[in-house]
Amino acid sequence: MSDKRVWSYEARRVLASGILLLAAGFAWWWTASAPQPINLTPTMTGQAEYCLTCHKDLPEISPSHPVKAFGCVICHGGERLALNKDLAHSSMRAGANPSDLTVVEQSCGSKNCHAGAPEEHRDHIQRVQTSIQSTYAGAIANMRYTFGAQPDLRARFGVVAINDANITTKSGLPLLAGFAPEKDENPSILKFSENCLGCHLNAQPKEGLQFARFSGCAACHTPDINTFEKGQAHRLTTAIPYTQCNTCHNRGNYDLRSITFVERSDGASDRLHDYYQPIAQFTRCEYTLDCVDCHTRTEAMGDGDLHSSKKDIQYIQCKTCHGTLEKLPLTHTITEADELAFKQVLLNPVLELKVGDSVLVTEQGELLWNTRVMPDGTYQMVGKATRQVFAFRPVKGTTCKQKPEEQASQYCHECHSVER
Amino acid sequence: MRPNFFHHLHPPTIAAAQARLRHTLGAGGAAIFLVLVLAITGTLELFYYIPTPENAATSVQIITYLVPFGGLIRSLHYWSAQWLLIVSAVHLLRVVFTGAYAPPRRFNYLLGLALFVLIMLLNFSGYILRWDQGITWLLVAGSGLLRAIPWIGEAFYYTLTGGAQIGGATLLHYFALHLFGLSLAAFILMGWHAFRVRRDGGIAAPPANIRAQAERITRSELVQREVLAMLLTGSALILLSVISPAPIAAPLKEIPVTLEQSAAPWFLLWLQEMLTWGNPLVWGLGFPLLILATLALIPYIFPQPSPKEIGSWFPPSNRAAQIALGLITLLIIVLSLVAYVR
Repeated sequence: MSDKRVWSYEARRVLASGILLLAAGFAWWWTASAPQPINLTPTMTGQAEYCLTCHKDLPEISPSHPVKAFGCVICHGGERLALNKDLAHSSMRAGANPSDLTVVEQSCGSKNCHAGAPEEHRDHIQRVQTSIQSTYAGAIANMRYTFGAQPDLRARFGVVAINDANITTKSGLPLLAGFAPEKDENPSILKFSENCLGCHLNAQPKEGLQFARFSGCAACHTPDINTFEKGQAHRLTTAIPYTQCNTCHNRGNYDLRSITFVERSDGASDRLHDYYQPIAQFTRCEYTLDCVDCHTRTEAMGDGDLHSSKKDIQYIQCKTCHGTLEKLPLTHTITEADELAFKQVLLNPVLELKVGDSVLVTEQGELLWNTRVMPDGTYQMVGKATRQVFAFRPVKGTTCKQKPEEQASQYCHECHSVER
Repeated sequence: MRPNFFHHLHPPTIAAAQARLRHTLGAGGAAIFLVLVLAITGTLELFYYIPTPENAATSVQIITYLVPFGGLIRSLHYWSAQWLLIVSAVHLLRVVFTGAYAPPRRFNYLLGLALFVLIMLLNFSGYILRWDQGITWLLVAGSGLLRAIPWIGEAFYYTLTGGAQIGGATLLHYFALHLFGLSLAAFILMGWHAFRVRRDGGIAAPPANIRAQAERITRSELVQREVLAMLLTGSALILLSVISPAPIAAPLKEIPVTLEQSAAPWFLLWLQEMLTWGNPLVWGLGFPLLILATLALIPYIFPQPSPKEIGSWFPPSNRAAQIALGLITLLIIVLSLVAYVR
């Protein structure tokens, strides 16, 4: 035994034990001060996940995706058990946006979700991926035709290569190759590819609050992200305001001499001035309604075929709601078989829909479920994003002099355009 | 005081000069303590770990994040394993640099060397059990080294991986090796090694008749020092485990075919670097085995330390062995740094 030491063995043992106790106490405190894990076992997966430990304040994404049923991981991926931010987020699908088209089949897709059968109206992903909003085939074909790289306006390229085994329309194409502008060796087409490929569904938006949107499904269905704090835009809706469409459409012009995008600079101050660019003609309904009030899901999200131009898919005209001098607009009486319309009302309940209600219907049979045929022969439409009620009349029986064959909007604009 | 079980594990007395911390560096004792920590924490982890490819990484996440103090236990296991490698290496360096391997301790030196290899393999197999994206180098390049052995390599590799491709059998094989094959061998060798330390007369010192300092300490004093060292090492381990948790990554879903962006664990970085030089048989197996053979032959073919210099630092009589081990150590450190920076 060492008697020379200042501290006895016992004293040193007490000191060392004290240090060990302090270290253990520190470990205890450290462990106890970590947030208590919050368990959620969604009914659809039956697998526990702990994302809510940090994200408990995030609003539910939509009434049709309740967190108790879906949880987080089924859409977002990620490590469901990890309580460390980096690890938990490491395997997430496309960062914060699982609807990006590169991962959409794993997140929104599945037979029972949005990648199911067309007859069950569950083929959203197939339709969106082939849609002109996603392929950008029309713009590419137009530019290549204009600069002599192809002999006609039939689309040959999309922003990504895609094919369609099941063509259902006359203008449907079997496939589009991936656009490779460098092969055209044309400076204008190259510039187009650099400056003008920023607004299809695969693309990230341009910088600027007015362009702020996600990619993929959320490009449209998660509107107004510039009004949310970062990371809080957790929302999916079919009530899409025109402002969301404006993040791509109606936001400036392309200068065809320099092949550059020129942002609109008119500083619109109200809806009337916001709606169209200065030289455009438009009627009142075009700046009071939202785009989705008239344009149908098929027009916006595609019909499952690859097309060469938006003209192949966009078909709603003034006459769809107003008819012509000779014909009233088409109408339809709701039956129990109109499952899709009931589903659409359920998703965006701006009005009640019941069997026996009479609504307007497009030439292609799409029900305009937010309209009503009134007993006095007039019509009403409820704004899908605003819930505002609009009353309107058919052309038939009025003093309108419109020729039956001239139904494109420019003919209606001749009399009905609004002065700014 | 009546000596208890722990006292009896030690020789009744040992030379005071050689029992000092600045002589032993406490490395051998620390290694035994770390092995105890590893055995306890490893046993606790066993209650939650599931050795299947589907569940392994998930169960590691459960241990880390959801089991009370599971993260701490896992980090203690991890850091004990890393420190065990370091203190074992320090122990080896001390033994060579003080000429402590001289007869009658030559055989025990070999036992220690075998233990060191086992500790490397235990670390290797322990990493594999994570089955997450942090282990791809070990799984693909490390295990794949076996294939470079002529004639029997493929068979050896397939025996280890358990079939035509890396999968459930591979994980189970590593699990069995980590828990049973390697651990059992390591425990037996450790017991033997410690027994031989005692049988060979405790810590190496010059023979009694030519010893300069006759002072000796009792095993009671030695045990006291060990207790203090264990308490302080334990405290440091706990603090490090809290501040710097064991690494973890997303589960391994697909077995990669290339090794882009994957790195060897720190203790095999030198091997990773050598593998970039070409032939894996030469650089991945041949050269490391040459190093091991050199180390094993130190007590047999290198000039022996003179008896009166045993147990003092850097005796001139075994300079050649010191230079050989020094160069090997330097080579491994430099290669590791190069690989780390790369």
